[in-house]
Amino acid sequence: MTEFDYKTCTGCSLLCEDILFPDEDSISHAKNLCRKGLAHYQALFVERTGPLIEGKEASIDQAIEKGAEILRNASAPVIYGWSNCTLEAQMAGLALAEKIGAFVDDPSSHCEGRLMEMLLSGRIPSCTLDDVRHFADTAIFWGSDPSSTQPRHLSRFSYFPRGSKRQKSYEEERTCIVVDVRESSTAKLCPTTTYRVPPGEDLQFLEALLAVLDGKIPKFGDKKRMIELGSIIKKTEYGVIFPGPGMLISLQDKMDRFEDLLRRLNEITTFKVLPVTEQYNSRGFGQLLFERTGRTKAVKFSPSGEAAAGPTLVEAAKEADAILVLGADPLLDLPAGLARAFAAAPLIVIDPRRSLTADLAQVVIPAAISGLEGGGTALRTDGVKISFEPLMKSEQPTDEQILTRIMEAI
Amino acid sequence: MAVDVKVVTYRDIFQYEAGKKGVHSEEYLRLSASIILDKQDLASLGIAEGGRVLVESDVNKIVVSATASTDEPHPGLAFMIKSPWSNQLEGDDSCLPGAPGFRGIRARVSPSSEDITQMAQILERLQS
Repeated sequence: MTEFDYKTCTGCSLLCEDILFPDEDSISHAKNLCRKGLAHYQALFVERTGPLIEGKEASIDQAIEKGAEILRNASAPVIYGWSNCTLEAQMAGLALAEKIGAFVDDPSSHCEGRLMEMLLSGRIPSCTLDDVRHFADTAIFWGSDPSSTQPRHLSRFSYFPRGSKRQKSYEEERTCIVVDVRESSTAKLCPTTTYRVPPGEDLQFLEALLAVLDGKIPKFGDKKRMIELGSIIKKTEYGVIFPGPGMLISLQDKMDRFEDLLRRLNEITTFKVLPVTEQYNSRGFGQLLFERTGRTKAVKFSPSGEAAAGPTLVEAAKEADAILVLGADPLLDLPAGLARAFAAAPLIVIDPRRSLTADLAQVVIPAAISGLEGGGTALRTDGVKISFEPLMKSEQPTDEQILTRIMEAI
Repeated sequence: MAVDVKVVTYRDIFQYEAGKKGVHSEEYLRLSASIILDKQDLASLGIAEGGRVLVESDVNKIVVSATASTDEPHPGLAFMIKSPWSNQLEGDDSCLPGAPGFRGIRARVSPSSEDITQMAQILERLQS
């Protein structure tokens, strides 16, 4: 019997563990990588960066020492990013944050943070992706578009697979529902069960759904279609809602009504919730921070290492006299006003590749690419811990090693 | 001539792929510096598919190319792939980074004869 040496892809938070690289030391002819995963690994060969201080080449020892010096002298340091780092790196980074009294936050906190707090505190029921694969007959992608962000979501777990209780799968047993403002790639799979919601009106949709579940006439949307949706839900045996940023941002401080909806759904049948986190270890950071501090986002450590609710990221970035960025590119991803605050602060960037943030950084420390050049563990989007070994050897240190060395130098 | 729209941002796998090859690339620019308008909204601007438009929000403005939506009619609603270009339209008034984009950024779209806003210009703005 042939034994395959499967690898784990860190291209997104599905952490697919069935990747084969027939050619050692090369990603050519890789099997099972999706378009996003392949792009993630092709990045190995382009836009790599070396150690830089003030834009000039330096040794990695000099870059680490300079980064440590900036952080040592900072009175309001920020550590931002985290989502593309292993759990081991996140633990090392949090130890550093405690030591220097830093504010910490990650890119997903603005949308998934509240949902994660509700999940981790047990306020809304969740499950694993393996449960989805084997049991779920209704998947609701609400403001999420996994075909774009987690390309193998539907094929591995939520729509196409023949799970143990869903052998007739999408042909007969699974229903895919999309709630979105636009015709997303996922919505194209299920045009008759796609529900359009204007931007910012997800609460009205939620209230209409609660109404039809109670046998009332909905006051939002196409009444006939809303009643049809209610009928699908009432026939569901095991449903899962996958909320995305479109829904989470729209609901914002009305997430209590989402909790009410889940309570009502579970009076009728079984319904779970799973986040659709984008970066491969967003869940890991949120969960780790929650276990340490009781919060999933925006935590400020005091100089003595005590954790408390921090200011907003905007406020923290504007006051920062040093920002350590790892596993993110805030100048690429954040709104201009906030990105400008980052650009104005002394930046230390740990990144395998050139990025917009690295282009403006005082110090750039190159790292190995997780999953390809460095191993470790991460939490899949459903919280399942996944371990992975590197595919290739690299001379670059891992994020964890760099953070540990910075800590020692401080 | 101008149309008022709400700009909603979204993720796109092809732009992600282009970004991994390099965010300074022509491909990344082409996919990011673009706005999808309702067919009638585009027609009312009197410009052809791929024509340049000025998109002005309360905080900033960018020049991007405009394409007609293939979706069902959605007058007053425009879509952009989330990128430094769409981010330019958002200020720091929100405590929730990225939030306005997913809810809809209010903007005015009008024909433009200026060049497409380049990444280098965006970086200059971020440093100003």
